[in-house]
Amino acid sequence: MAAPRSCALWGSCGRGWSRVMRGCRLPGLRSSWPGSPLGARLLSQEKRATETHFGFETVSEEEKGGKVYQVFESVAKKYDVMNDMMSLGIHRLWKDLLLWRMHPFPGTQLLDVAGGTGDIAFRFLNYIQAQHRRKQKRQLRTQQNLSWEEIAQKYQNEEDSLNGSHVVVCDINKEMLKIGRKKACAQGYKTGLAWVLGDAEELPFDDDKFDVYTIAFGIRNVTHIDRALQEAHRVLKPGGRFLCLEFSQVTNPLVSRLYDLYSFQVIPVMGEVIAKDWKSYQYLVESIRQFPAQEEFKEMIEDAGFQKVTYESLTSGIVAIHSGFKL
Amino acid sequence: MVTLLRGTLRPLRLFQVFPGPAADVPLRAASQGTGLLYPEHIPTSLLQKVLLTAGSAGMALYNPYRHDMVAVLGETTGCRALRVLRDQMKRDSEGAQILQERPRISLSTLDLDKLRSLPEGSLAREYLRFLDVNRVSPDTRAPTRFVDDEELAYVIQRYREVHDMLHTLLGMPTNILGEIVVKWFEAVQTGLPMCILGALFGPIRLSAQHLQVLVSELVPWAVQNGRRAPCVLNLYYERRWEQPLKALREELGITDPPTHIKA
Repeated sequence: MAAPRSCALWGSCGRGWSRVMRGCRLPGLRSSWPGSPLGARLLSQEKRATETHFGFETVSEEEKGGKVYQVFESVAKKYDVMNDMMSLGIHRLWKDLLLWRMHPFPGTQLLDVAGGTGDIAFRFLNYIQAQHRRKQKRQLRTQQNLSWEEIAQKYQNEEDSLNGSHVVVCDINKEMLKIGRKKACAQGYKTGLAWVLGDAEELPFDDDKFDVYTIAFGIRNVTHIDRALQEAHRVLKPGGRFLCLEFSQVTNPLVSRLYDLYSFQVIPVMGEVIAKDWKSYQYLVESIRQFPAQEEFKEMIEDAGFQKVTYESLTSGIVAIHSGFKL
Repeated sequence: MVTLLRGTLRPLRLFQVFPGPAADVPLRAASQGTGLLYPEHIPTSLLQKVLLTAGSAGMALYNPYRHDMVAVLGETTGCRALRVLRDQMKRDSEGAQILQERPRISLSTLDLDKLRSLPEGSLAREYLRFLDVNRVSPDTRAPTRFVDDEELAYVIQRYREVHDMLHTLLGMPTNILGEIVVKWFEAVQTGLPMCILGALFGPIRLSAQHLQVLVSELVPWAVQNGRRAPCVLNLYYERRWEQPLKALREELGITDPPTHIKA
């Protein structure tokens, strides 16, 4: 599929590769292969029990966490710049759309997992504050006979602008959190924000704590996605919402070819030139291919106990927003 | 069906780009190594090489401190010149030995104490003085990644490691003026497109005064010496540490620089 294209055969390899790759990608490299003879299956199951994928490479599960950590440690400083360059700024629209789908109200407790550099958290705070300002304006318009002092006082009451809304940014990587905190300071976000170092597969929070759980472009890097989903289910309050913004499978074949071309030919080069890091960006595009498609991920979310699971594909399926409720 | 799928998956692993820090993990050993010609090799398509060339050239001009970009530019554009260089090395007896034995210049392979004990004026002492005065180390050279031939990868690695030797031979410091002069020398000697581009576009960032000195005196001197001297990659520097620098310069036909440039 995409892998052959990063070699000199690019241009001459046929669709055969892509069909084969697509066919065997869905079961993933860790589940046992159907149809193999029983004896061989027992042996191969044992060996494959601790194997998983790291991009197109096969690694042991213990190793994957460490390797992913190293990738993000190395890209942290240029993470935002590279996001803008790679997606031509479109990632901002995707994240904005996630917030619009979330439609939080004042008082929402948000947990943003793998939210390292704080993009979702800042957008959440901006949303709440913008809502508050609109509400204030509406209130003031209905009160016709206020004096100037009273109006000024209403506007000055910044303390309550969040009205109890709070966002916890949780990430497994210290470097990413560091960048996030620096950004928060630079952009002036002081209240309503907490930064926690934690593993998505084992969250350091009690049960039933949050109204909304989001994970944007993070879940494909988790070694055991099912565990992360179960943890999400655990920490959400009953009635809470799970939202996941992640790269997904492109449906349109023409877009798919262009997307593969761009991913495998251009992105690692960009990574090398801008961030001095070819390999991390090669991992990034490979890990996107390894992530399950929209329907399969929907089923995984349902398996974790969520209900009313829906998804919405954006930009022809390059990303998808999956949503589920804990009822 | 299973073996068929596994069979088709295996060749796709040719295009992985993770050599990994240690090859002692058995799970990874089978999946990496096939298709990688040398440990740090990253196989690239023609399109990627073109994009890398453009990107690295732009970035090197935009940010002159990105030496790694200059190195990448050299790797992606040097295919033909490296082949010519390699053939030239093969024809020379000392050069053929270098290709055979593949010596590397780095802090781990150099015996600094022994070098320091050699007489004043020898190549070793001048080289060490150059490293001290300019505060550089031979270990800052990036490994070759984008050359798709293992011997040529060594040739360009050798060229990079010999670069400091050239500074010593020519008596040039590592500031931008000195680097440009050495680039002109290397451009004439090796014909690498990266050297030619560096020599032509490097002066863009120079002041008018420096530019004047460069064009009127330093470049003609560098070009003359480059033409006169035999291929500098053919010198087995590791065997010539005791040779007095003056004698080596005479052997290569390198004259003193017309104006002394301060570090």
